[in-house]
Amino acid sequence: MFPARVRMSCAAALLSVALAVPAAALEKGDRAPDFSAPGLSGGTVSLSAYRGKVVYLDFWASWCGPCAQALPAIESLRKEFAPGDFQVIAVNLDRNPALAKKFLSKRPVGYPSATDPKGALPAQFGVDSMPTSFLIDRSGVVRHVQRGFRESDLAPLREQIQKLVADKR
Amino acid sequence: MGRWLAFLILALAASGCAPVRPWERDALARPDMAWDPDPLGAQLGDHIHFSKEASLGGGPGGGGGCGCN
Repeated sequence: MFPARVRMSCAAALLSVALAVPAAALEKGDRAPDFSAPGLSGGTVSLSAYRGKVVYLDFWASWCGPCAQALPAIESLRKEFAPGDFQVIAVNLDRNPALAKKFLSKRPVGYPSATDPKGALPAQFGVDSMPTSFLIDRSGVVRHVQRGFRESDLAPLREQIQKLVADKR
Repeated sequence: MGRWLAFLILALAASGCAPVRPWERDALARPDMAWDPDPLGAQLGDHIHFSKEASLGGGPGGGGGCGCN
């Protein structure tokens, strides 16, 4: 039907698209993969250390406007719940962690932030917008994926956290 | 053989045109990378332009030409 050269080019184009497709995003009901990454202010941040608690895992960067808007809202959420029940962990994705430290010195938060300048973790979690956050239940299962952030997202998010915190299984 | 090699090289080279991942947009997020670094100024400029050109223009607002819209 088509000359061999055309067929070869089409096949090459399809293969290149297949090679360039990013990893599938983690969705509701998936088990959150454990990770361990260096903390922005030293030490190590690992997800497994918070197993048994409801975890809000937030991927952010200092250059991302909606992330800056989300940070104080997340911090206020964190303060609403007992530390034994609910924990926020952030993963900063700035290529230069010094920029993130500068950002946090102006807008401090009380939860730990890991640093992943190479972006291995967002690739693993399938982050497809900034910010993206995963609400993980006590058994390590993703119960909600928050893509982007608006003030109006806060109330439904609080409701979901309340439900998960109440579930002590 | 040569044909397959060319196919492989083409496929690998084309896959180099990968999309920018969301967390790699730091340089693109800089204000000086915006289409319009000054959106309000651009809107004002647009308004003056379409009024003087006696055209409707691409911005909001009806009419044109009189400079009164």
